[in-house]
Amino acid sequence: MIKADHLIKTFVRNEKKNRKMEINAVDDISLTVEEGEIVGILGPNGAGKTTLLRMMSRLMKPTSGQVSIRIGETEMTDEIEVKRHIGYLSNNTKLYGRLSSRELLQMLGTIYGIPEQTVEERIRQISEVLSMDAFLDNRIEKLSTGQTQRASIARCLVHDPQVYIFDEPTLGLDIISSASIIDFMKRERDRGKTVLYSTHYMEEAEYLCDRIVMIHRGKIISEGTPAELKERTKKDSLRDVFSGLILEESGSILPDAADGSYEQTGGIKGGRA
Amino acid sequence: MNTKIIRTLVKKEMLDVFRDKKTVIMMMVVPVILYPLIFIGAMQVVAFISSSMETQNYRIAVDAGDDDAFLHKLLEQGEADEEENAYEITIVDAASVADYEAALNEETIDVYVAGKMQDGRMQYDVYYLNSVTNSDYAAGIVMEAFDELREEMTRQRIEAAGLNVHEILEPIGYEKENMSSSEQSLGSIMGSVLPFMLIISLLMGTMYPAIDTTAGERERGTLETILTLPVTNRQLIVSKFITVAVIGMISALLNILSMGGIAFYIYAILEMQSDVGSFDMAMFVPAILVCMLAIFAFSLFISAVTMCVTSFAKSYKEANNYITPLMLVVMFVGYIGFIPNLELTRAMAMMPVANICLLIKNMLVFKVDYGLIAVVLISNVAYAVVAILFLSKIYDSEAILFSEQKGSLQLFEKRSNLRKGGVPTVSDVWFVVAVTILLVLYAGSLLQVKYGLAGVFGTQLILLLVPLALVIYTKKDMKLTYGFTGTGAAGFVGSAFLAVGVYLINIMLAGGLMKLFPQSAENVETTFSGIMGDNVPAAFLVIALAPAVCEEMLFRGLILHSLKARYRVVSAIAITAALFGAYHMSLVKFIPTGLLGAVLCYVVWKTGSIYPAMLMHFLNNACSVIVTYFPEQAGRVVPMLVKDSVTFADMLLLLGAGLPMLGIGVLVLRKCRKS
Repeated sequence: MIKADHLIKTFVRNEKKNRKMEINAVDDISLTVEEGEIVGILGPNGAGKTTLLRMMSRLMKPTSGQVSIRIGETEMTDEIEVKRHIGYLSNNTKLYGRLSSRELLQMLGTIYGIPEQTVEERIRQISEVLSMDAFLDNRIEKLSTGQTQRASIARCLVHDPQVYIFDEPTLGLDIISSASIIDFMKRERDRGKTVLYSTHYMEEAEYLCDRIVMIHRGKIISEGTPAELKERTKKDSLRDVFSGLILEESGSILPDAADGSYEQTGGIKGGRA
Repeated sequence: MNTKIIRTLVKKEMLDVFRDKKTVIMMMVVPVILYPLIFIGAMQVVAFISSSMETQNYRIAVDAGDDDAFLHKLLEQGEADEEENAYEITIVDAASVADYEAALNEETIDVYVAGKMQDGRMQYDVYYLNSVTNSDYAAGIVMEAFDELREEMTRQRIEAAGLNVHEILEPIGYEKENMSSSEQSLGSIMGSVLPFMLIISLLMGTMYPAIDTTAGERERGTLETILTLPVTNRQLIVSKFITVAVIGMISALLNILSMGGIAFYIYAILEMQSDVGSFDMAMFVPAILVCMLAIFAFSLFISAVTMCVTSFAKSYKEANNYITPLMLVVMFVGYIGFIPNLELTRAMAMMPVANICLLIKNMLVFKVDYGLIAVVLISNVAYAVVAILFLSKIYDSEAILFSEQKGSLQLFEKRSNLRKGGVPTVSDVWFVVAVTILLVLYAGSLLQVKYGLAGVFGTQLILLLVPLALVIYTKKDMKLTYGFTGTGAAGFVGSAFLAVGVYLINIMLAGGLMKLFPQSAENVETTFSGIMGDNVPAAFLVIALAPAVCEEMLFRGLILHSLKARYRVVSAIAITAALFGAYHMSLVKFIPTGLLGAVLCYVVWKTGSIYPAMLMHFLNNACSVIVTYFPEQAGRVVPMLVKDSVTFADMLLLLGAGLPMLGIGVLVLRKCRKS
């Protein structure tokens, strides 16, 4: 189980004339994902999804709030301990092109402190499940997009983590590649793992997620199973639920220029001043 | 710290780096293949040149009227030389040369010799072109012939006068004998070249892996991947550091082996051809061992420094931009090995880069001081450790990792992309301050030695203009950056009180410090009196007025305001004051000038204007000038100013007078309204 407790992330931007502007990219979000559950994070661009997931995987330090992981009866909050039990995947987690998949997995195994034999055994299993045998010893820079994606998944699997955090894992992939990722998430959930992921694809979320959390401007605006959300908003599809909620919140489904958080924030996403 | 994780990471980094063509080429191909190739090429060129020289035929025109003594001599020498040097001399009929200048330029003749009787003796003029190899060489032959002719004639005349030729021409005998061993001679030649080569090859060797493991990792997007692992920042940085240092060492060793191989080859050839004094290579063993240690220590240092620089870059290109100034500085300091008579002192032993150069130089001429060797090695390792600790703190910062904003170093941005207004970014200011300080250190001190007071003024101009160029280029707001805002009379009155208070307290501090460090106090005094000269108005202008404007604009203007925009006021003031203290480059002056700097910052902060600080700085420096030129009169007002040593009672008195002044100043400034 992974738990976010009142997470806030404030970015400070230097405006002209010495004025500093503070933006809460994530504004007091609390969230729990249980074992054997897939939770989907939905939100428009700049809503704070990536920041939230980065904080939950401990890549970023929250301005305030806490992230903890519970496995059985042990609860962990230490950064290194938490990282040990998380498999994080995003578009920005590239692989070492000059290493082969096998070398990469072996190296990761050592860093996670897994005995050598177990690592070899696990590489064999992973390679079988993701059918990577053909290119396991090729340099990663030589692989195709689909193969690279599979190598990336293998990277998250090598330490058999309890929690998976995926940031838009299917973005820009073809149907077959994204299907393999979706299958993978379902399989891991069925094995009792905790899965938290963000996406833009409503159909995918509706099909896959046990629970959906919609965030906008750094805050949770709605939360529930797909059925509950549709019931609550009296809409037929998740797509309508989504646009309806965003419209309700900001008066327009288009990013409003008035608060300027979309055009001008550059790398820092979302939130109010 | 878990060494297993570090080992794994180092292994990964090594694989990653060694599988990169660029690094391998820089490391292996250049020293192992390029150096010998260049050397063989150079040998070929030299061989070609000397072979083309051998078959040369020099055309010499001699116009000496009836006197043919020289012509005979020249022909005689040409014949003699034909056996030794195998060049030919053709005498061109001088009558056929109408215009010797044109003929020389057209290269139809190589030398034109004109001789005529003058005051009873022959006077010859030799015309040649120094820019044409053949002409230059032929002129040499002609001059040799003249020397011989003159000697011959001298002998003949002495003999004709019935005197002893030997006694007249050589009234005394002398001979020069080189007492330094051939090892020492070799060492002194190598001592100036080798340190420079070593430092550059180490820098080149660490540069690419440093960029590759930091900026390269970020550019390839693998940094976020590695951050998902249960690895601490320190483990990450240390493993990268080890990788870079090891690769740097390998590359330096390859360079040395390659250069050493070539040197040995040349030596072997020379030994076969002539009787060069033989060397006892065993004598160099201690030097080589210490050099190895020095390479080890320096590779740690330079790896740490390059990594600090490249870690701020977001891409290869940016990293290259950042590393260029570093390279220039290192090369510049590396030239220190070529400066004769520069000794490795205890202070020098602490100076990075310079210390390694001088250590290797010393070792090669067999000057061994174990204390200094230890200082050099330890200081290099210590700097590396500090830099790496600093870096692991910096790497902690998410701003570097996740911000997709452009680097805050705006100096290298396209100017049209920069937004107008505001104050310069802290990174820009650090960069410019570093450049300015370096300029002041090198150019400024040269100016001061050469031009005295005018040079000091030049230094002040550097302080003013270099940062000003940044402010103008990055289109910043002058008023905000420099605090060019008006303030009420209270600001000036308050700062005047503060000036007096600080001055009194600083006399007390200086007195106390002089007791603690008598030696460095003397240093300060002698350097100043040398520069000041007798021109009192000029001294006022340069020592009091110029710093009040230039130093204030830099420290209390640019630096303070840009720091204040990013950090808390207290930290901004502390950093500015410390910089101001350090800028005076004297251990004894650090505390007094630091205090002065802090109070000046306080004035600017309270009044919001730089003008009162300028006034205060002027008053402070003016007092120093007055004390220097009119010690008697000043001594009558405040006796402690000119006393050789200050007693404890004096110090209490100064403190008692200074503190109330400071108090009044602070109270008056409170009344000051920020505009």
